[in-house]
Amino acid sequence: MKTLKEGVRRIPMRLTLLVLSVLALTTSTALAHDVTPGDAGYIQEIWGVHIVPFIYLGAKHMITGYDHILFLLGVVFFLYHMKDVAIYVSLFAIGHSVTMLLGVWFGWGINAYIIDAIIGLSVVYKAIDNLGLFQKWLGFQPNTKSATLIFGLFHGTGLATKILEYEIAEDGLLANLLSFNVGVEVGQLLALFVILIVMGYWRRSPNFMQQATYANWIMVGLGIMLTYVQVAGYVAST
Amino acid sequence: MHNAPKPNLEVLPTKAQLRRSSIIAGIGAVFIGVAVYMPAELGQDPTGIGSILGLTEMGEIKQQLAAEAAADAELHGSDESSSLMDDIFGLFVSMAHAQEAWQDEITFTLEPGEFTEIKATMEEGATLYYAWTSTGGRVNFDLHAHAGGQDVTYEKGRGQTEGEGSFETPFAGDHGWFWRNRDDEAVTVTLQLRGDYSAIVRDE
Repeated sequence: MKTLKEGVRRIPMRLTLLVLSVLALTTSTALAHDVTPGDAGYIQEIWGVHIVPFIYLGAKHMITGYDHILFLLGVVFFLYHMKDVAIYVSLFAIGHSVTMLLGVWFGWGINAYIIDAIIGLSVVYKAIDNLGLFQKWLGFQPNTKSATLIFGLFHGTGLATKILEYEIAEDGLLANLLSFNVGVEVGQLLALFVILIVMGYWRRSPNFMQQATYANWIMVGLGIMLTYVQVAGYVAST
Repeated sequence: MHNAPKPNLEVLPTKAQLRRSSIIAGIGAVFIGVAVYMPAELGQDPTGIGSILGLTEMGEIKQQLAAEAAADAELHGSDESSSLMDDIFGLFVSMAHAQEAWQDEITFTLEPGEFTEIKATMEEGATLYYAWTSTGGRVNFDLHAHAGGQDVTYEKGRGQTEGEGSFETPFAGDHGWFWRNRDDEAVTVTLQLRGDYSAIVRDE
C-alpha cells in the first residue's frame, strides 16, 4: 500500500481513476462484456491520432513477428558490407510499406492463412537461395534484389491483414497507420542491430561457412514449418 | 556451396567494434525495457518518459482490459448459477408489449475512464428498441449479452455520440450495454428504451 500512496501523490488523477475502476471490478462480478485484451483491445478502445503508441505497436509487431525476423536474417546472412545491408533492408522496407499502407487503406481482405503461408515460403526461398541451390538447379542466380522487394510486398500484405484485424478507428487512421509503419521500420532496425552483432561474431569464426550451411538448412525447415502451420490452419478454417 | 563467398576478415567488424555495439545494444535494451516497455505494457512509468510519450495510458488500458478479461473468465466459469438465476428471473417476466412511446429513460454521467453497464432482463425472442445520445463528449459501448454459456454481441462502437436501433434476443438473460468514457471530458448519456423486458439492471 505504501508504494500505491506514493504513486497517488505523483500522478493523482490517473492512478485514482485506475484504483477506482479496479475497485469497481472487484465489487461487481456481474459487470463483464466480451473483452478483447492486449494490443487489439487497446486499439479498439481509442480513436484519434496517437502517434507514439502506434510507433510502439508497429515496432512490437515487427520484433515479435518471427516470420519477418527470420526472412530478414536470411536476407542479411551473407551481406558483409554495410552498404549492401542498407540496400537490401531498404528494398524490403519499401516492399512491405507499400502493400501495408495500400492494403489497410483499401481494406484488402486477403486470407491471413494464405498470406502467412506465402511469408513462410519466402523464408524457404531465401534459405535455399543462400545455400546456392538456385544456381545449381537453374544454372543462374535469380536476382536477389528483386526477390527481396517482391517478398517485401507479400510481407506488407501480411502486415496489412493483421492491422485490419486491429480495427483502427477511422478517426486518425492515416496518421496512426503512418506511425505504425514508422514503428515497423524502427523495430526492423532494432532487430537488425542485434542480428548484425550476432552475425559479426559468428562470421569471424573459422567454421562459419560450414555452420552457415546447417543454419540455412534449419531455416528451410523453419520456413516449411511456418508454411505448414498456416496451410493446416487454412484447411481447418474452411 | 552458397550464393556468396567466405567473408574476408578485413571487411568484417573488429572484435572491439562488436564489443562496443554489444554494450550499446545492452544499454539500449535496458532503457527500452524500463522507459518504453514497462509503461506501454504494464502501465508503470518509473522514468516518467512513458507519460510524456503517451505510452502509459496504453499500458493502463491494457492492464484494465486484462483484469476485465480475467473477471470475465471467472464469470463464465460460474455459468451454472447464472443460468439458474435466469430461470428464476424468467418466472417474473411480465408480458409487457412494445408500445410506440419509450418505456424508460435512463440518464447517467461518466467521468473520463469510468464505465457502467445497463442491461434489460429479457426472454428469448424478445425485441428491444433503443435510442441514445451523449453530450459533453464521445463514448465507447459494447451492446451484448451472455447467459447460461451463450453470448452474443449486437454492436460495438467507440467515440460515438448517438445511436438507435433494435435487436431480438437469441436467448434469455440480461441484454444491454457496457459503456465506457475514453474521452477527455465527462460524458452524459441519455438512453431511451421500449420493448419486451421485465427489468433494467444497472451496474456501476
